[in-house]
Amino acid sequence: MAASGFTVVRAASADEALSFAADPSSRLVAGATALQLEWAKGQPRPQRLIDLTRIVGLSSIEVGVDKVRIGALVPLAQLTRDAALAAALPLLTAVAKTVAGPAVRNLATVGGNIAGRTGCLLPSLLALDASLEIVTLEGRRTVSLAAWLAEDHSRPVVIETIIIPRPKPGCRWTQRKIGLRAAFTPSIIGISAVLDLDGDTIQAARLAVGGGSVMPARLLRTERMLANRPLAEVDWAGIHAGLLTEIAAPGDAFRSAAYRCHAAANALVYGLSGALPGDTQPGAVDMMHASGNPVAETLLSKAAYGDRWHVRPDGPAKVAGTFAYLTDHRTPDMLVGRILRAGIPHARILSIDTSAAEALPGVAAVVTHRDIPGDNAFGIVIQDQPAFCFDTVRYAGDAVAAVAAVDARTAERALALIRVDYAPLPVVTDPRTALLPDAQAVHDGGNLQCALSFSKGDIETGFAHAAHVIEATYETPRQMHGFMETEGGHAFVDEDEILTVCAGGQHGSRDRLQLSRILAMPEDRIRVVTSPTGGAFGGKDELTVQPALALLALKTGRRVRLQLDRAESVTAGTKRNPMTIRMRTACDREGMLLAQEVEVIGDAGAYVSLGAAVLETALEHACGPYVVAHVASSGRLAYTNNGVCGAFRGFGANQMTFAVECQMDRLAAVCGLDPLDMRRRNLRQPGMPGTLGQRVAPSERLAEMLTAAQADSLWRKPGGLSPDGSEVLGIGMALNYQGNGLGTLPPDPAGGGLRLAPDGMIEALYGLDEMGQGLLASVQAAVSSALGCARADIRAVTGDTAATPESGSTTASRGTYVVWKAAALAAPEFSQNILTGAAGVLKRPVSQLVLMAGGIGERGSNSGVPLLNFRQLADALGPDALPSVSTSFDFPKTEYQYGNARFLFAFGATLARVAVSRITGQVRVLDLVQHTAAGPVLDAAAYLGQIEGGGLQGLGFTLSEDAIMENGLFVTGNLDSYMLPGIADAPETLRVHALETLDADDPFGPRGVGELGIGAVTPAVANAVANAIGIWPVCTPFDPQMLLDTMEGRA
Amino acid sequence: MTGEHVTFRLNGEIIQLDAPGDACLIDLLRDDFGHMAAKKACGIGRCGACTVLMNGVPVNACLLMAWQLQGADIVTPEGLDRLSEATVIRQALAAENAFQCGYCAPGFSIVLTALLREKPDAGEADIRAALEGNLCRCTGYHSIIRGALAAVAALAGETQ
Repeated sequence: MAASGFTVVRAASADEALSFAADPSSRLVAGATALQLEWAKGQPRPQRLIDLTRIVGLSSIEVGVDKVRIGALVPLAQLTRDAALAAALPLLTAVAKTVAGPAVRNLATVGGNIAGRTGCLLPSLLALDASLEIVTLEGRRTVSLAAWLAEDHSRPVVIETIIIPRPKPGCRWTQRKIGLRAAFTPSIIGISAVLDLDGDTIQAARLAVGGGSVMPARLLRTERMLANRPLAEVDWAGIHAGLLTEIAAPGDAFRSAAYRCHAAANALVYGLSGALPGDTQPGAVDMMHASGNPVAETLLSKAAYGDRWHVRPDGPAKVAGTFAYLTDHRTPDMLVGRILRAGIPHARILSIDTSAAEALPGVAAVVTHRDIPGDNAFGIVIQDQPAFCFDTVRYAGDAVAAVAAVDARTAERALALIRVDYAPLPVVTDPRTALLPDAQAVHDGGNLQCALSFSKGDIETGFAHAAHVIEATYETPRQMHGFMETEGGHAFVDEDEILTVCAGGQHGSRDRLQLSRILAMPEDRIRVVTSPTGGAFGGKDELTVQPALALLALKTGRRVRLQLDRAESVTAGTKRNPMTIRMRTACDREGMLLAQEVEVIGDAGAYVSLGAAVLETALEHACGPYVVAHVASSGRLAYTNNGVCGAFRGFGANQMTFAVECQMDRLAAVCGLDPLDMRRRNLRQPGMPGTLGQRVAPSERLAEMLTAAQADSLWRKPGGLSPDGSEVLGIGMALNYQGNGLGTLPPDPAGGGLRLAPDGMIEALYGLDEMGQGLLASVQAAVSSALGCARADIRAVTGDTAATPESGSTTASRGTYVVWKAAALAAPEFSQNILTGAAGVLKRPVSQLVLMAGGIGERGSNSGVPLLNFRQLADALGPDALPSVSTSFDFPKTEYQYGNARFLFAFGATLARVAVSRITGQVRVLDLVQHTAAGPVLDAAAYLGQIEGGGLQGLGFTLSEDAIMENGLFVTGNLDSYMLPGIADAPETLRVHALETLDADDPFGPRGVGELGIGAVTPAVANAVANAIGIWPVCTPFDPQMLLDTMEGRA
Repeated sequence: MTGEHVTFRLNGEIIQLDAPGDACLIDLLRDDFGHMAAKKACGIGRCGACTVLMNGVPVNACLLMAWQLQGADIVTPEGLDRLSEATVIRQALAAENAFQCGYCAPGFSIVLTALLREKPDAGEADIRAALEGNLCRCTGYHSIIRGALAAVAALAGETQ
């Protein structure tokens, strides 16, 4: 999309604006807040903008005795703040707070919200019987909003003032915006209504719907049914039925037409009468009563940790905005890179012509597959993805070419000049049909990327003895990582001819290996910098922008920067593999599990990346932490043209835990058992082999987690119908069992180093990446503890292949162990070297010296002051004799080789209390409690942050997030429609507990918690929903329509 | 290319700018003025990472175009250094370890600064309402709420 300019004319009056607007390529604007999204969606840019904001007299709110006059240029924010308006028109104030977000409301105007005809204010203004003072080429007139909405929209109009009669005292009103999340959401449908009352009789009724794709409209038939009727005699069930036929709303990829009508009818009837259709079935399972918690957990908080609570070293700069990300680098000579994406999901490439782009002044280089000297293929395990497509496009985000130019505009114009001729191929969108014999092949070898299976015992025997069998099919979404810093960075060739690629990543040395293959360049000629990264969650594990950056820097010999915009990140970036999990589980009369059959179909997308490993991990977790004698699990992963999928926090385990933990609650229900008791009967015991039969590490804490969950005070909170009758509350829990590390089969090397830097800092070197998880704080914690010095003495050096050793990937909850183990291994020798050096300087025997905060002290002294600080030691030793120790080791593994199996695990129990809306079917999570057991807490804030953040990401996976695709293209193209949880979706309470103990003989130290926080959120919420309304949602994100139908007995 | 000539205040400094009319403030800040604190994470006003103050209130710098800047008083996160409340708020947020990757942090900080300048005794409901337009992908938001409440307490302590 090439940028194009426009002229801006400032209108001094409405008439002048209209005289300018005669030109059809012009556009009237005020706040202009809708334009970026409109243009991003492909609407044409006008040649001329007519700025209305200079028109005087349209910027005030006048609250009169009979009516309120609101100038069209009044910002929406003013509607939310004006006290007189709130007193006169509380309905309008309430609705205004639901429009867009607070910062947008500071720019967007009332007039603009109306003029676009999709605005969220419209239903309320209709219900308030608003009129507009408008100016057209025919002149100025006052028209009712309802009449104006019905007029021809093709001719320019300037709205000057909104006139709203003040409702009569004692009127009854309601409003609701039904969206896709709690706030700052697109409107699925909005409703507003006002009943003018004369005593107990409805004098007049005005009901309206609108917002988003719903045509704003009064509901006149229903209004007539209500008018002149005593309130007490209204047949609200009849009104509800009438509304279902009167409300007109379209369906789309997000919500059906029926849902919109249904939820709107519920909201109107509930809002006006307090009545709702259907009976509720609160409390399907009796609540357990919490008792004192016998598990020695710590509540994770700043207060509870006292002086063990540390400010993360990168925190202050991040808050101030002075922290430099790899996408923040700018130098005067820097070129700007852009990547041309195919934009078509499946096609043969007939030709690529870059000549016009290359000829554009300001373009320094264009690269395509022809510029790749090495293998045009990458992938962490299997190299099936081209750096630049050459003959075939397999997803819309496939890279075809890249440009480096003097600025972004020139680069974008150059992209538009690249001619690519495609011959479209049939688009493969469904993983199940992709596996049929006659399916269009995405890759030459067919669409079955991999098939995995695991079995033990004999499931026929197991099922033959079953008293109860539960079978369900669970579906999980294409969740997007949604890191706030999109993929990007910069690259250059340094003075030593080393290609330096700086881009957010999760394993620099592997990125270097992949680049070396693509570039046919020895690894020692490439430096990869991957820290700091602005969030990753697995989504930056695979290569992203690095090939394009590298090729552009090499071809131009100049510094190049490149960052994907959000829409491109959505299109090109990996997502979580969607899975369909069919699970059949049997138990006997006492609730003892007998057999389980699991069949998984996963969507690989166009290239596999780590999809096969994700499927494998899902199968490894197929029995959760339970003992099942007879198991048959199988999984198939299908290539499609649905984007690309790969690593994402949880890595298949959280999808499978959703299924397993819901099965446990369902079986408990049919057995008549308490769900926690059901779990305890079947729980793995310490010392048992893992699910696949592999040896596993000591310090299992599952029983303790179950006990902690059972004792939790959350169970004492109210369930059942909410006090206002609009929600049904429920409580649920799920156990959490998450493997750490890459498993037995892939190489899983680790390491780290310590050295005294010339400035006296002890540098701790790790090839791991700070992505937000708190690596730097964890390094300071582990190293200072191992050495006996202070955190402030330690400087973590991370994520730079030129400076840091191989530590393996920053994935799979492995970083914490690697940090701790490397510190433990390197510390004795490093400490000895420091003391030996200090002994020489101080002329004292080593045996009298000890490391302490700030330097080297006298052993046994209480002075608190070092004899020699680290800087003095560094100065005395000189730059060539500074102590330096490095270590390497393998991440702990089992010897099991029949499949990929984990050795280290972390444990948890998650509890959720939910409110299911009887109006909309939407689920709010009121409380989320996470009990965790992952060994000693290295850094309290980092640990807490990972569990809380994982928890909210899990809520998104459960309730609002799905990157919806239609025919190989994303419907959810940006953060306007892809619903990351916002602050309004955050539960009222989050509580995290840690059980820090390890068995006496456990040498493995702290486990990672990067994935633990997300692991059991979904089933805890699903079980809570079942507790509330008696049915388990099986598809995430939960479908509110299904929940509404269930509550109203129409399931 | 049709251009706009506008005069505005950027962190207290008068700026005369010639720019294409459709140039967005966030791109101007990052690419022309070297102010890197505000981030561009969606480009359509839906995440709040680019938030700046315009005439004292938070706005999305990705939605504001050059032609809208005439006469405006823009304060970026860099410009918050001049506001005494901002220092207290930042310290409180950092002490609580409110953020993780931190990419959203300047946007949250600027909105909280605007809120607490207007309403120093803001409670959790006010804080949640003010931050509805800011997305964070790392935290559970509660660390930010805790930091904001700590800032309220710290500001109260300062004025006593």
